[in-house]
Amino acid sequence: MSFVSWQYAIFLPLVALLYWRLAGRARIWLLLAASYTFYGVWDARFLALLLSSTCIDFFCGLAMVGRRESLARVAATSATPVVWLGGYALFTGTTAAVDGWILVAAGVFPMLFTCLYAALWSQPAQRQRRAFLLFSILSNLAVLGFFKYFNFFADSALALCTQAGWNPGWVLPKIILPVAISFYTFQSIAYSVDIYRGKAEPVRDVVTFAAYLSFFPQLIAGPIERPNDLVPQFVRPATWSAEEFHRGLRLILVGLFKKVFLADNCALLANHAFDSKTELNAPWVLLGVLAFAFQIYGDFSGYTDIARGSARLLGFHLNMNFRFPYFARGPSEFWQRWHVTLSSWFRDYVYIPLGGNRRGTPRMLFNLWLTMLLAGLWHGASWVFVLWGAYHGAVLVLYRVVPPLRRLAESGEGARWRVPASMALMFAFTCVGWVVFRSHDMAQLGAWFAALGAWESSDMIGWVKPAWWLALHVVPLLALQAATWKARDEAELLHLPWALRGVIYTVLFVAIASSAATDVEFIYFQF
Amino acid sequence: MNRTLTKSFLLALALLVGCEVVVLVFFARNMSGRFEYGYHPTAGVVESDDGVVNLVRAGGRRFHPQTLSARKAEGVFRVMTVGDSVPRGPSLHDSYALQLGEHLRASGVNAESFNLAIGGFGARRSQLVLKQALRLDPSLIVLHVNNSNEFEDEREWRRMREFQSGHPKNWLMKSRALRRLHELKTEKLFWQWLPAAIRNQRAVSDADAEVRASKNDDTRREWDRLVARTLAEDIALCRQAGVPVVLVTQATHEPGKPLMDAELEAIARPLAGPDVLVLPMRQVLEGRKDVFSDGAHLKREGHVVLARALADLLRREHLLPRAAPPAGGQ
Repeated sequence: MSFVSWQYAIFLPLVALLYWRLAGRARIWLLLAASYTFYGVWDARFLALLLSSTCIDFFCGLAMVGRRESLARVAATSATPVVWLGGYALFTGTTAAVDGWILVAAGVFPMLFTCLYAALWSQPAQRQRRAFLLFSILSNLAVLGFFKYFNFFADSALALCTQAGWNPGWVLPKIILPVAISFYTFQSIAYSVDIYRGKAEPVRDVVTFAAYLSFFPQLIAGPIERPNDLVPQFVRPATWSAEEFHRGLRLILVGLFKKVFLADNCALLANHAFDSKTELNAPWVLLGVLAFAFQIYGDFSGYTDIARGSARLLGFHLNMNFRFPYFARGPSEFWQRWHVTLSSWFRDYVYIPLGGNRRGTPRMLFNLWLTMLLAGLWHGASWVFVLWGAYHGAVLVLYRVVPPLRRLAESGEGARWRVPASMALMFAFTCVGWVVFRSHDMAQLGAWFAALGAWESSDMIGWVKPAWWLALHVVPLLALQAATWKARDEAELLHLPWALRGVIYTVLFVAIASSAATDVEFIYFQF
Repeated sequence: MNRTLTKSFLLALALLVGCEVVVLVFFARNMSGRFEYGYHPTAGVVESDDGVVNLVRAGGRRFHPQTLSARKAEGVFRVMTVGDSVPRGPSLHDSYALQLGEHLRASGVNAESFNLAIGGFGARRSQLVLKQALRLDPSLIVLHVNNSNEFEDEREWRRMREFQSGHPKNWLMKSRALRRLHELKTEKLFWQWLPAAIRNQRAVSDADAEVRASKNDDTRREWDRLVARTLAEDIALCRQAGVPVVLVTQATHEPGKPLMDAELEAIARPLAGPDVLVLPMRQVLEGRKDVFSDGAHLKREGHVVLARALADLLRREHLLPRAAPPAGGQ
């Protein structure tokens, strides 16, 4: 279910109304049912995958603090995916609705998991915690790796074999990428690692854990929450607060504005400019990348705002994911402002375990670069995403090793031109990254940079009026950001006089309505 | 109450309600009809108080922009062409509707011609345009007969019905003020500022379904019956208005085959009479496949040939007024 669909406009108020009417454990059950419904609308079969992750991480989490569950309970809980799939096949009246190999895998899962669970408990005590941690991480990565990267690596291997003159004749299955898998597997990993490190307590109850892992506002595209931030909110009963409710509505309003008004309208230009059939010239190269920069920002930060707003309506606080990223003065600051929860995830679970900055400058630079490379690969199974990650890693390294750049990015006293200059330079670096990110392949990427030199092209359609279209949608965003800048929160307007706030709400609502009636999907759902 | 409804929220609500009231009172007639998907009775025909009529792109009705007076001047022979993308032509000037006017004027007839054809309009939506054309004091109606747009007519009809229903996806646009704003942005900015290659991203793309439907014999027969029925109604409307009609039946071609007309001539012929003439494109353009830009649409040359044939037909059937004597002549 998309946040900008009419179904969600009915679903969310209904869930919120029921939620505040219920008390105690009934709320957890409601959230779980709502989250599974929300996810199941896309493809109910993949709920089995979510159930499997829930099962593994729940029991591993408990095991890491020495709590052993009965094998019967483990087996019964791990049978839920196959029960779900079987029920789905029966309900839809066709076994073809679920691939045979998936049914077999789900059928084997309870037995395999129960045996492994028992085997890990038989490890020496000092190795048990580590073994359960590894099991949790590896199983999450295996699921992610298979569903997200199997086709990519298999296709790449096949292409390599073909280039080497050997055609192995493999017919590769096409694996469907389940929505949200990248987000909830990372959240699962964070849960297990934090328990292992002693930073978090495991959830004692499987229903609460399932509700935590599948919490619908942030299930599909984050923010990626840490257990200490979100789990306690499930355990402690929330109390109704009008201020929280208002804040939730404000976040949803701003999120819809960013998505419907900004992103979807910029997408028209970006899609045209990045269409492989479009003959590009320099003005369109620049217009296209600017349009995409605001499209992806509006799309993803809008999604996050709606997610945070939806959670607020239920009394939950989700972490901020975007803080005026295009006003960053350098790459480090950019990643503290853009997709913050993913950046901090990679920092805490990849960069620091790799050694961080503790092993000298060259190693630190390599760690930075490698972390960004992996972050690029997380975004998608494609070489352009790998290149995008490597590019951002290189920019981070560049700012560390080139003193003028480092000084430019540093805050502090200096000439007045330094702040806008550093922001403009970083924005330019970011835009080059977006060209890589948005290109379909290396050939298109090359064509893009080649087109930068083509200022005259008779085939190309005019760009002046489309540029006005872009400005029409970007300028209101910049005005909104100017209004919220002081509060350091992109959706916070409380510091403004109430009358001005009222006018701003009206303008935002009217802007959304002026661009409604389109069904454009969120970009980050594909990751 | 005070805590739940803040002053800023109430102000926003008041502003929105105020806008709604203003639009309801002062601008209710200015709706472009975009959400009627071509079924709005008057969309695209804007008449000002001084009797000037502008044909504009609005409300899903993408007329070639043209200006005319609501009543034709004394002695003027006004021709109005109604139809789909074929008579619409590669451009306004190159369309057979305008070319016919030029031919007539060249032969001394005080004629003016207007092109009211709209791409994708089938029999039912074209009938609504015809009703508007008949209000504009025509001397002759040229009705282009085709049966390849009924799928689109049907689809747009469903969209209009859905909009008129209580479906939640349309709740926002039930507000007159918001709908007007949406229409303004679409008509004045989206259409004016963005070229077709970009706008087409938001076009409905169901070409596969259309091809499947057009290959189904039962569906085609149903479409033909619909075209015949609507055409008979069109002619009745014209007779009622006392305006003669020329039915130009569409022809299509495939490589290596003679021109075909998908039974359109058979539909049109029985309706012919003293005030209803039939001009089959198949007959006019036989042996001239070079004037087709694709299987159905014509290049400029094709429009010129068709316009000449139309002028000849009108002359032959004495439907033209007597030519004015050339200036300075005896």
